[in-house]
Amino acid sequence: MALRRIVLSLAVVLLLVAGVLPVAVMAGRSLVVDGRLGLAAYHGLLASSRQWELLGNSLRLAGLVTVAAVALGVPAGLLLGRTDLPGRRALGTLLALPLLLPPSVTAVAWMGAAAPSGPVVRLLGAGASAVLSSFLFGLPGTVLVLATAFAPLVMLLVAAALRSVPPRMEEAGLLVARWPAVLLRVTLPLVAPGVLLAAALVFLMALGEVSVPPTLRYPVFAVESLTRFAAFYDLAAATAAAMPLVALTAAVLGAEALLVRRTRGTTGMESRGAGRALVVPLGRWRRPAAVAAWSLAGLLVGLPLAVLLVRAGGAASYAEALGRAGDALGRSLLLAALGGALLAVVGFLLAVLAWERHGRLWAVPDAVALFLFAVPAAVLGVGLIVTWNRPWANVVYATPLILLLGYLGHFTAVSLRLSRASLELVPAGLVEAARVAGVGWGRRLLWVVAPGAWRGIAAAGLAGAAFCLRDVGMTLLVHPPGWDTLPVRIMTLAANGAPSLIAALSVILVAATLVPVVLLGAVLGRREVLP
Amino acid sequence: MRRCLAAILGLGVLLLPACTRRATRPGAGTGEVVAYVSEDQVFSQPVLERFERETGIRVRAVYDTEETKSTGVMNRLLAEKDNPQADLYWANEPIRAEVLRQRGVAEPYRSPAAEGLPETFRDPEWHWTGFSARLRVLVVHTPLKGEPPASVMDLADPRWRGRVVLANPLFGTTTSHVAALFVALGDEGARSFLERLKANGVVLSTSNGESADQVAAGQATLSLVDSDDAINRIRRGDALQMIVPDQAPGGLGCFVVPNAVVLVRGGPHPEAARRLADFLLSPQTERQLAEADCAQIPLHAGVPVPPDVPSLATLSVMEVSWAEVAAKMMAIQPELQAWVGS
Repeated sequence: MALRRIVLSLAVVLLLVAGVLPVAVMAGRSLVVDGRLGLAAYHGLLASSRQWELLGNSLRLAGLVTVAAVALGVPAGLLLGRTDLPGRRALGTLLALPLLLPPSVTAVAWMGAAAPSGPVVRLLGAGASAVLSSFLFGLPGTVLVLATAFAPLVMLLVAAALRSVPPRMEEAGLLVARWPAVLLRVTLPLVAPGVLLAAALVFLMALGEVSVPPTLRYPVFAVESLTRFAAFYDLAAATAAAMPLVALTAAVLGAEALLVRRTRGTTGMESRGAGRALVVPLGRWRRPAAVAAWSLAGLLVGLPLAVLLVRAGGAASYAEALGRAGDALGRSLLLAALGGALLAVVGFLLAVLAWERHGRLWAVPDAVALFLFAVPAAVLGVGLIVTWNRPWANVVYATPLILLLGYLGHFTAVSLRLSRASLELVPAGLVEAARVAGVGWGRRLLWVVAPGAWRGIAAAGLAGAAFCLRDVGMTLLVHPPGWDTLPVRIMTLAANGAPSLIAALSVILVAATLVPVVLLGAVLGRREVLP
Repeated sequence: MRRCLAAILGLGVLLLPACTRRATRPGAGTGEVVAYVSEDQVFSQPVLERFERETGIRVRAVYDTEETKSTGVMNRLLAEKDNPQADLYWANEPIRAEVLRQRGVAEPYRSPAAEGLPETFRDPEWHWTGFSARLRVLVVHTPLKGEPPASVMDLADPRWRGRVVLANPLFGTTTSHVAALFVALGDEGARSFLERLKANGVVLSTSNGESADQVAAGQATLSLVDSDDAINRIRRGDALQMIVPDQAPGGLGCFVVPNAVVLVRGGPHPEAARRLADFLLSPQTERQLAEADCAQIPLHAGVPVPPDVPSLATLSVMEVSWAEVAAKMMAIQPELQAWVGS
């Protein structure tokens, strides 16, 4: 059992070093100004009415994005995870795409739609530009872009929770009522914790988002506080400005955990027990539902992508884009592959820790990983700089290892949860038989558990790779010289870069992101694996 | 599973050389230089690529963005002061280069390529040297009804109430310009201007580029931006007119903002950094930046420029002490923050 303790402890330590240490060091650093301990860096943080106004804007934005994402994501999750909707796998892939793209790319696409020279305005007439612009630039447009970007998270978590609902409960309901009533009174209450978790994550991701609000000119606390305090070139003040977001993250996740504890249901990580998940037949509603779902996907995902394609123009734009950023694309793919592999391994080990309920604190890594997933990327980025920017740590700070550490800290929750769900599918009897036969823990893990959960582990790696590929907030801050990724290159070229170049780069990023997404779809399309 | 593990190990082996090669500091050796760049990447990258082609020295760069200037390369240089990763900083304006000198980050270097550059656009002790300049100009939406503005002070003219957009003065060249106004007009004069500006309903944007876009789209009528933001958009047909302000005799003069080269003290590749500095300060680079869409104004005499690029020789220029403006910029930050937040 020493091996088990060493391996699992190593995974926990990696998570702590990658994520918790930077946040803790940053919090500590904000308390030291000019070598003295105190709250000087916090003075004036919320002193002006403007700061409170911005905090109000942030909460309003996060609230509206959450409502919109839940309103879109829950029905989509139900349709894709439980019904016989035609083409649901392709639809799921299309709807999931915005989650795996930097939201700024979606914003660029919508800005292209509203531009006077854009294809939508050409189609609808010159007057449409002003109307579209007035909608897009400000709160409504920011809500639209972020809700589109985050609704897939709700969809996926609801679909995962649905697969964990015990079929016998729905079967019992069907004895006395029809599907709509069963869905409303049995299924939805059972997946309520999954919806609650998704809502909390969307709220926090919207709260910490720093790329879309400035692009669409909606002032929020996360952007303004970090930028205004950093204008002093004072790291203590800058880190202090980030701490309210860290505190809010902890508070929201704490409240979510308390609410979930009081609710009887599933977040998608529990075993559903015996039996296959039931499928809701749509009957005569099958075709209208398909038309509605595909139309919505076309409007929210297809339209911005089409605009990007049109704005990018011909081959010359792509040639220029590849000339300008081909190296960044290569680095993005390499880092995504390495990050995905690392996340798959560490996520799997931490999932095993929770699955085996090893030690007294088996549930802690999951909660910590979730917290780190919800902490704004820019906050984690500043924390990594504060922690690792030391001469003795150049082997980390001055190399791509700093990015891999950041990815591990930020995205372990994704791989942990996917691996954890797949572990429920490993036959307990098989593991027990191996144990009784004298097979040690390491060999059991390698030859019994991992093969049984391989699709979940592969899915964890691919989803992790996709998240690494899309990251901007942290990579922008900590990438070593010459190691910028494609999303970062798009951001830096956007300053006075031609719209066709930015659109072509965005299309290339979408294409690159489709690789893990399609593979993920293929892996998750198998019925026996959770979505 | 075994294949998965092999793949993971393989990828790890692939990365290992990249990590260990620079185990102490990035780009160890003489064939590389690490540059932090605030000039827009779309304009600076071709210059650095030409340097790579002509010298064989690889440039590893970190670029700034429009929206994240807060956490941009300037903060990174200060954060890395005791553990420098960069060799050279290409600043897009000299005030922050001057701040780096004052904070002990800049290494003095008298480049031979700086011969012939005006003394007014460099640090007297060669901690930074200016080249290729931009002007701070007014842009108006076209067609404009009535008399066009002629001075930066016109931004506070009630004629433009609610129609003026200005980049956040806590960042970029707008900060430098406001600090220069404090030096030129005196504290009271500048404060009065800012108050009148606020009373005139000025709208703040995240960057000069965004300000120019808002004016081009007709969302605002007037703004104060950099000449490259204006010329770039005029060349692509946006509805903008550029006005060089304060050209009347005895007026303030136009605020000129050169790029600046700073060598980083303790940088890992000092020799390569000096070669890059020489390259950036050369007339050839100034010509390249004049012909690009940023349309920057050469400071070397006799460099040919496109017809829409203004010439400093024909302009009335605001005379400033860069050290004084840099000190003022740091001093007025709390005041500016309060102004932005009020």
